[in-house]
Amino acid sequence: MSSTIAPAWGLAMRSLRNIRRLPSAFVPALMMPLVQVIAFSGTFAGITMVQGFPTDRSVNWYLPLAVTMGSSFAGLGTGFAMIRDLQSGFYDRLRMSPAGRRSLLLGPFIAAWARALIAVVLVLIVGVTLGARPTSWVAIPSLIAVGLGTATLGTGWGIGLAYRFGDMRAAAIMQLTLFLGLFLTDAQTPVDVMRGWLVPVATVNPLSRVLALARQGFIDDGASWATTIWGLITLIAVSTATGMFAMAGLRHLDD
Amino acid sequence: MSTLAQTRAMSQRSVLALVRQPALVIPSAVFPLFFAALGTSSFSRAVNIPGFPEVDSFLDFALAGAIVQGILFGSITSATALATDIETGFFDRLLAAPTQRTAILIGRLAGAMAYGFAQTLFFVAVLVPFGLRITTGAVGLMLMAIGGLLTALAVGALMSTMALRTGSSEAVQGSFPLLFVLLFFSSAFFPRETMSGAYRRIADWNPVSYLVEGFRSLTIGDVNATSIAQVVALPAALAVVTMTGALAALAARTRRG
Repeated sequence: MSSTIAPAWGLAMRSLRNIRRLPSAFVPALMMPLVQVIAFSGTFAGITMVQGFPTDRSVNWYLPLAVTMGSSFAGLGTGFAMIRDLQSGFYDRLRMSPAGRRSLLLGPFIAAWARALIAVVLVLIVGVTLGARPTSWVAIPSLIAVGLGTATLGTGWGIGLAYRFGDMRAAAIMQLTLFLGLFLTDAQTPVDVMRGWLVPVATVNPLSRVLALARQGFIDDGASWATTIWGLITLIAVSTATGMFAMAGLRHLDD
Repeated sequence: MSTLAQTRAMSQRSVLALVRQPALVIPSAVFPLFFAALGTSSFSRAVNIPGFPEVDSFLDFALAGAIVQGILFGSITSATALATDIETGFFDRLLAAPTQRTAILIGRLAGAMAYGFAQTLFFVAVLVPFGLRITTGAVGLMLMAIGGLLTALAVGALMSTMALRTGSSEAVQGSFPLLFVLLFFSSAFFPRETMSGAYRRIADWNPVSYLVEGFRSLTIGDVNATSIAQVVALPAALAVVTMTGALAALAARTRRG
């Protein structure tokens, strides 16, 4: 076990040290959810006047979206770093080292969880400053669960694509797919408030359930076991799928 | 070769680059349409809230934001190409040749202007089958296309200034968040009348709000002096300021050699 944990920890620490050494690679990913929560809350403030909108504070609706977006992009950040390592040849040297394959996968996940927690805390601070007020004690635990979960699925997806493409094409695909995946949900307004083509798309998109989990402590309807359980099941299922995708990508790289 | 012929040759080069490398322009064409489609479904019921202008559907309201968004992002592409010319040494070879300095800049901006014009017409053509209605008809549409061209010139010149000052395509690309912020803190996606507090004040000061509202008044209102001033005169005035800056940056880079 220690042969997995120690190298994984080392890789995670290296990734976290890179935040200080290469801030240009991390700061934009961190700024994005902060700008998002500030911009969306102000620009779309009027949407709370629509009948059926579940909160009278727009920031309560958009803060969980920003956390989800920031955490998943924190996960993708490890995918970008993986591309750099693959291109520079550092990853080949790692694969030739006696470190186990599991540790090569676990390291980026640990780093992504730490990066996601930074995003969760900062977005929360900015959101509360803008007037976000939780409506239930489950708000913070739910946000942390979603932050860690979406960082996991973002990491699996990001490094899986990095293993397969090995260059910056992977970066474009990871960002675009995750961006579309998150926006083709009830990201901007609840399904009950929408009309038209997005209603069926958002209803079947599993990421809507993840957003529901993130939001349950911030909307007037309050939290429920069903929202919690479905949100967690979705996070676990999607994270497992992207984790397996990453594992298969590493095997593909070995072949 | 006369200055005009040189400018035409440089313009041709920048327009052909857009045609030959569609991957460069697709994001600035597709993303605004995606956001317009997303907003039309998400915010369809918002058209009834107090302060929202009278529109048949949110799509009519969203068109103006999509046009300005597309032009802002398209201008980054054009300025990035100029910065790439500097990085690859092509710009230095142009300086070494008996080329008019202004032809280099205006030629590059011609690509942005052509794209801004085409983008406006493209967005309308794509959205009309989905129910978009332009109340001012062909006259309004032509004014919007001219406005698109002038806005592209104004923003393209601003971005080119950055390209000429830094000589770095990465720095130009890095200005994306700035444009994103300018866009979001304006009335591009929601009316100013529904905002409050600091957001309302920022949107009131943000020139992007007035640009967007000009396009919007031609989509859902009438052709009048105010809408023409906002769509044509405002970007033209901005273009004069930003072109002056770009020419100064060009002169500074030329002096540096």
